[in-house]
This record gives sequence, C-alpha cells and structure tokens, in this order.
Amino acid sequence: MYQTLIKSSLFSLLLLLATNLLYAQNNHEQVGEYLITGSVTNLSTHLALVGANLSLSVPSSATHSDQNGNYKFSVKQGIYHLKCDFIGYIPLDTLVQVNSNVVLNLSLTISQQNLKEVKVKGTGSPKEIATQSLSILEGEQLDHTRGFSLGESLKSITGVTTFQTGPSIAKPIIHGLYSNRIMILNNGVRLEAQQWGSEHAPEIDPFIANRLEVIKGAASIRYGSDAIGGVILAEPKALPKNPGMDGEINAIGMSNSRLGAFSGMLEGAFDKKLTGLSYRLQGTFKIAGNSSTPNYLLANTGLREQDGSAAVQYHHKNYGFEAYYSVFDTKLGIFQGAEVGSIADLKLAIKQPEPLTPSFFTYAIDRPYQTVNHQTLKLNSFYNFENGSKLRFQFANQTNTREEYDFLPLNGRINPELYLKINTQTADINYEHKDLGNFSGSFGFNGITQGNIRKYEYLIPNYRNYGGGAYFIEKYTHGNLLLEAGLRYDYRWLRAYKLNNNTALIETPTTHYQSASYTIGTTYSITDALKLSGNYSSAFRAPTVNELYSNGIHQSLVSYEIGNPDLHTERANNFNINLDYTTSRLLINVQAYYNSINNFIFANPTNQYTRTVRGPALVFNYTQADVYFRGLDFNLILKPVDSLELNSKTSLIYAYNKTIHDYLIYTPPSRFQNSIGYHFGNLSGLKRIFFSVEDVYVSKQSRVPVGQDYVLPPACYNLINLQLSFRVNYLHNYGDVSFAVNNLTNTAYRDYLDRFRYFTDEPGRNFIVRLKVPFKISKTTHTNR
Amino acid sequence: MMTNFKSLSLLLCGATLFFAGCSKEEQAVAPTIANESLTTVVLNLTNQADVSDTTSCRYKYYFDNSGNVKSSDSTVLKLKANAKYNVVVNIYDEQQTPVFNVGNEIRERQNYHLLFFQPTPISSANLITGNTSPYIPGTLTSSKGPYLNLAVSRTDRDTNSPALEVGLTDLFTTGAASTGNLEVILRHQPNAKNGTFAPGSTDLDVNFKVAIN
Repeated sequence: MYQTLIKSSLFSLLLLLATNLLYAQNNHEQVGEYLITGSVTNLSTHLALVGANLSLSVPSSATHSDQNGNYKFSVKQGIYHLKCDFIGYIPLDTLVQVNSNVVLNLSLTISQQNLKEVKVKGTGSPKEIATQSLSILEGEQLDHTRGFSLGESLKSITGVTTFQTGPSIAKPIIHGLYSNRIMILNNGVRLEAQQWGSEHAPEIDPFIANRLEVIKGAASIRYGSDAIGGVILAEPKALPKNPGMDGEINAIGMSNSRLGAFSGMLEGAFDKKLTGLSYRLQGTFKIAGNSSTPNYLLANTGLREQDGSAAVQYHHKNYGFEAYYSVFDTKLGIFQGAEVGSIADLKLAIKQPEPLTPSFFTYAIDRPYQTVNHQTLKLNSFYNFENGSKLRFQFANQTNTREEYDFLPLNGRINPELYLKINTQTADINYEHKDLGNFSGSFGFNGITQGNIRKYEYLIPNYRNYGGGAYFIEKYTHGNLLLEAGLRYDYRWLRAYKLNNNTALIETPTTHYQSASYTIGTTYSITDALKLSGNYSSAFRAPTVNELYSNGIHQSLVSYEIGNPDLHTERANNFNINLDYTTSRLLINVQAYYNSINNFIFANPTNQYTRTVRGPALVFNYTQADVYFRGLDFNLILKPVDSLELNSKTSLIYAYNKTIHDYLIYTPPSRFQNSIGYHFGNLSGLKRIFFSVEDVYVSKQSRVPVGQDYVLPPACYNLINLQLSFRVNYLHNYGDVSFAVNNLTNTAYRDYLDRFRYFTDEPGRNFIVRLKVPFKISKTTHTNR
Repeated sequence: MMTNFKSLSLLLCGATLFFAGCSKEEQAVAPTIANESLTTVVLNLTNQADVSDTTSCRYKYYFDNSGNVKSSDSTVLKLKANAKYNVVVNIYDEQQTPVFNVGNEIRERQNYHLLFFQPTPISSANLITGNTSPYIPGTLTSSKGPYLNLAVSRTDRDTNSPALEVGLTDLFTTGAASTGNLEVILRHQPNAKNGTFAPGSTDLDVNFKVAIN
C-alpha cells in the first residue's frame, strides 16, 4: 500500500507536469478518501494509451489517461462503476469496490469497427441482399457532412457522386446512374416525388438520419423494380427504450453563402404503465444566401428549408407499432444567369467567362425559384412469432407539391409556370421465416398507387399509376460460405390523362408492364479478415411518365423533350465482385462491377430545332439503346500507428453506348480522394482532438459522345479540405465541435456533372463550423457514444 | 396474439380502403397555360414626310394544347424607298381574353427590357455594334449584297441612370429599293441592362419579310 501511494504521487507529479493545472487542482487528497489508480494500455501491444476517457458514476467524475497512460480518481469508500473508452477501441465497463486504495490496470482491445468508417457488411440482416455491396455513412463521418444536402453528404462514399444544378440542388449518382434508376428510402418509405427531373433534388432532411446506407448495384429484389442503379437508405436511429428524455442540438455555419442550419431533436420513453412507449420530435431550419465562386457571387442562389418530423412507437414483447410523420419544405433560388430562352442565349452565356448578372450578397430569393413541400405519413407494425418468424407491415402516404417560378411574366400572371402535385400510397408486407437448418429467408409484397396532377405549363401529364411486386429471398449459410438467391415479379399499370394537342379532348393512353427480377450471390470468408463476394442481379425498369409523354421545353437547357409512348422496359444485368480485407491496421475494400443495360432509355439529341417564341430549341427524343457501365471502387484505410489514419478512395467508371458505338453523356469522371488524419488525443479541456487534410482530385472527362453537348467537359481539378474536431465536456454532457475549410486554396473550377458548368464556376473557399450538443432532460435513457 | 392479428388485419383493411378510396383528381385535366405567351408582334409605321402614309406588319404564333408553337404567320413589311418612318412596336398576348397588351407591360418594366432590330442581308460596314446599337452582335454579314437598305435607331429611353434605350419606338430609314428580313428580338435583362445585347435572356424572337419599293 505504501508502494502504491508513492507510485500514485509520482503519477500525480507527472500529471502535473504533463497535463493541465485544472486537473492538478482537483488532485489534492482529503481525509477518508481512497485512490483508484492504474494505467490504460493496448491489450496486444501493451503500449500506453494516452487520452483515454475514464468516468466514474455516482458521484460522477471523469478524467483521462495522461501521457504515460495512467489515471487516478480519489473517492470515498463504496462501489463504483468505472467506464473507460478510447476512440478505436472497445470500451470497458467495470464495477470497483473501494475500501482501500485500488490499482486497476485496464487493457483495451482494438475495435474491428474503427477502420470501417465506411463499413461493408457481410452476412447482414435479412432486409438487404447480403452479397451486394453496402456502404454506411454514420457517426463522425456523417457528422462531418452536416449542413450539406443528402446528395452532397454521400460523396464521401466511393462510386457515389452527384448530378448538380448549381450549389443548392444535388442528386446522388450511384455507379453512373441517377434519377429514376436509383431508389431513396426515407425511414423505410420509398421516396416518391418528381424524381425524373435533373433539377429535382431528393426531398430529405439529412438530419433525420443517423445513418446513410448505400447499396451499389441493382437492388430491385427487395426494394422494387426501379432500383437498377442502387438504393439509398436514410435511417433514423432507433427510438429510445429506457425511460427518460433527452435530446440533441446541431448548429452549423458556413462562410460561403453564409449558411446557417439548426436542428433540434427531443426523444424519450415512458415507464411504469406506459413501458414500451417512446417518441421523438425533430425539426430543422436552414437558410443560405448567394453562393460565391472565387471571383464573383451567384445572384439568387439562396435557399430556405424548414423540416420537421414526429415519431411515436409502442413495443411490447413480441409486437409493436410505429407512427411517423415528416414534412420537408424548401424554397430554392435559381441562379438568374443560368436562365436562357434559346440556343442562341445558351451559346452566348457559354462564351462569357463569367456571368453578366449582378454580383452581391443577399439572403433574399427572387424569381426564378422553386418551392417543394413533401409530407410523409408512415404507419408500421411488426409481430415476432415464438418460433422466430417475423411479420412486418407498413403503410405510407406521401404528398409532394412542387411549384416552379420563372421570371415574372410580362402578362402579369403571378402563378407558377409549373405546378405538380403527386400523391402516393405504398404498402409493404414482409415475412421473415424462422431459420430452417442452414436456411434463412423472407418473402413479401410491395404495392403502390399514385396520382399526379399538373397545372399551368405542360411538361408531364396527369396520371394514375398502380404497381405491385412480390419477392422471395433465401439464404444458405454453411461455415464460411453464404449462398443466396432471390426472385421478384412486378406489374405496373399507368394511365395518363392529357389533352389532345389539337382537339382539346382528354386522351387516356394506358400502358402496362410486367417482368421478373432475380439475383444470385455468394460470400466466402477465406480468413477472418478476408472475404470475397460475388453477385449477379437482373432487374428491369418500366418507362416513367416523362419518358413516355414529355412534350415541352426544359427551360434549363432549352431542350425540347418529346416522349415516346412505345418505349419498352429496360433490363439491367449487373455483375459485382467485392473483396474485403479488414484488420486492425488495414482495411481494403474493392468493388468491381459491370452493369449492362439493354433498352436503356435516354433523351437523344436530334439535329432538329423547334421554334419557340423565344427562338429555336434543340429537339430531344426519348429513345432506347444497349449500354454498359463498368467500373471499380477502391477504398484503403491504413493505420500505421493508433493515432494516424490514411484513407484513400478511388472511383473509376466507364460507360459506353453499344448501339451507336459511342460514349454515354454525363458519365462521372475518375475521382480520387486521399486523406491523412491524426488523433491528438486530449489537450487541456479538449478531448478526442482530430485533425485531417483531404485532397480531392477529379479528372477531366475525356470520354464524351460526339456532338451531344454544347461545350467540351471542364478541366480536371484538385481541392484541399481541412478538418479539425474535438469534444468539450461540460457538467455531465459534452459538445462536439468541428472546424472545416473546404476548397482551402479557393480554386476556381467547373464540374462536368454540374449543369451550371455552362455558366459559372463552382463555389470557392468555405469555412464551416459545426456544433453538436446532446443533452439529457430526465434520467438516463441511453448513453451516447 | 389474436388481438395483434386483429390490429394487423384492421390496418390492412384501412390500407385497402385508402387505396380504393383514393381521389381521382387526376382525371380532370387543367388547361395548359404557358405564362410567357407573347403571341403577336405588330409594327405600326408612319411616314415622317406624310402622316397619312401608314403601314404595318404582324407576326403571330399559334399554340397547340401543350403550349408549344404549332405554327406562325406573318405579313410582309412594305416600305417606300428613301423614307423615314416613325415606328411603334406593339406586343400582345392573344391567348388571354381580352387580349393582353404586353407592350404596356414592357413600358412599365422598361429598365429590364431592350429591343433589337436586325435587317439582313447587311454588309459588315453597316453592322455597327456598340452600347447604343440596335443591331445584334454576331449576325452573319454579306460581302457582296444585294443588301436590305434599312437602318434602325431607337428613339425612346428608360429611367436607368444613365438612361438607356428601350426600342418600343424607333426610327426606320430606308434607302434604295431592296428586299430582305428584319429580325426583332426582345431581351429580358433584369438588374443587368447595360445597353448591349449580351446580358439576360431572349423573351421574343420574330422575323419579318421586308420589301422596300
């Protein structure tokens, strides 16, 4: 005991020298108090871990290990709950009985998860296809995208990029496919809006999600026939189980566009008679003004967004119900310099080195602008049978109202140019049968009906759509081997209601499509660290209403798009190979894919011009061709020492139109993201200090089809982004703070997949501050990371 | 367990009702209203030497039920040689009843609008461009004629500071007998009007046949 005392005094001395005075002031010993001391080490290397978080419950106190990995608490006699956690390691949790001085040395095991910032799931839960690539963005990686739109947030995943219309509208692209070819699930509900439009961004508030998942590849089997490019799932965290109430506040500020985003969340669960009942309320407000490129500001590029959601859930032993309602409401300014009336205007705008619109900052949004309101109501329930089978039912109703305003017209009308309202009901039933030997699986049904109404301009007609699909997925697991197969059948009926162009009578062209989708895949774990997966999926997509019945000018590119009512379904044959190698020091993930799509539907530019009041416009006809996409996603994370992290991501894609023997337009160029990050541990009152530098290089797209664009693709560009984050403890809570600089060098560049490349540069340097503060109102409901 | 099945089936029933009872709003088709439908342009000309000598020409667009241009027709602008004409530009939206006078609206918003007039064929010497030129930069010029002997200048100004031309009233000066075309373009230049063609976008683009006798 004497020895221990000496030892601890020595440690105190070291602490005094090495760390802050605050700590040392608390270090005086009082009569009747004992010491808990010890060291924190890495279990396998036995090296000291500096800056591990240690906390004692009741009376709560917290500290962290010093530069030699040692720690110390002075406490009264009693039983204490000691917790120790360090980033990248599995946390320890232990009870300590104190009736004399105690020495407790803690050894932490490296978490296998720590490298998987973008995890690739293996034999996952039955809800997805296990042999397909699933990338997850969550935790700190997701926190670092807060304030950005959904599309922008996903860019840190290999193989995912965005199709943009200026700084405020971004649609996600997965393996070169976007819009109707990918499906987005918002809290389990497939987002149904006017997703065909290239300037219609997904109506999702990323703050509702604490996890964004991306399935890269044709994932139609489970989610529906349209998902031939991939699926994005925005998943909120599970509602709390333990009684109490807590919440979280996020605040984000960005210098470019002077964006402010605020999001608050309150959640809780009841006890006693109401045990099992829990709830969450959440709201987001976002405001931004004109964005600025390195050399000028972009007039009328501000945005407003107000979102809210409420969820209530009741869980009993083996059954439960949930009701969820969300509203997303936005107003987006459209850059005035990008408004063109004719081909001549467009060519004139392209010739200008910078737009001729006035360049000043304002939050005000003038015409042209668009407003979008999206409301979702979801009801679901589940029943878990005693034999292990599970039944799930979900019903959702969505209403999407979109209004697009052009410049105030000369005829004095103040109504929007385009008004579209689509109302969608979906129902999903899924039955997961109990494991039968080595077999597990599920089957289910998806139903959808939607009605669309338009007013003012004609771009797409009114329509009614009915769809139904049934699927069956079965897995066989034996040792290191997993085999799976799935089959799906879909039927769709679509009736449009439109005026005959000449007689003004209502026409009701009706189409129906039906086809099967199937998937087969295998995963083999060669060692614990090395895993190989292969998947083949065949999926189809029926033509959508814009492809069938478009007839009008897309003002954005002065393209006059003419639909083709005789289009056939398109069929994707998608091959994927995934290789995963995961150890505590190294993660390698490689995905190679080949997606061959027959009867691929696209708007093909003709050499014909049509007359409009504003001048000639180029005619595009919807047509079909056989195309393929092939590519490689590569991700490597290396941790040579615990505190240092190197991350390298490469996305390569090649797309070709076999029918016309030329490249496909709007194929993402090669993208390379490399970063180096360092965990500084704790310094003074700041915990978990992390600093990283990222370099993003996007090459020039040189593989473009002949004569299908007004201008050559922009040059390659290189961006440097910095990030500094840390945690501050206060009272019994903490706050996460991060500072970031995007486009540090204020590089002026244009991106091939931003429609604004015809008119303006991309935004310049952007300083970002992010603050996240979880708080507890009553009792502990659950511990935050 | 029975109650759970009951609630489940109730939910199912509710959903079925919802599906069956969904509104058929889409079956009533709203008419197409293109907001910016400038259907008609009329130039009214008065000979300065003889106020009783008036002439005019008209360009009119016709639209289909999708709001797209179905057809158009125009009348020839017939002018006397070696004369000066005072010109008034009238623009109408004839899809509205009563016919909406867009010209008055342009006059109201004159600080955002500018009209351009381009006679062709024109020689490169006569295609003057600059801050007060009513001609369109980039117009193809002809090196050997015969040219349309028509010169255009605008005669009205807006309330910008300094005041810029608008073009709702103009002066046409004809030379020797000739034939050709006159393109009239209305530029919409919100917050960006500076007298030149480049800023903004085109609201209206029509082409008249011209005969100078």
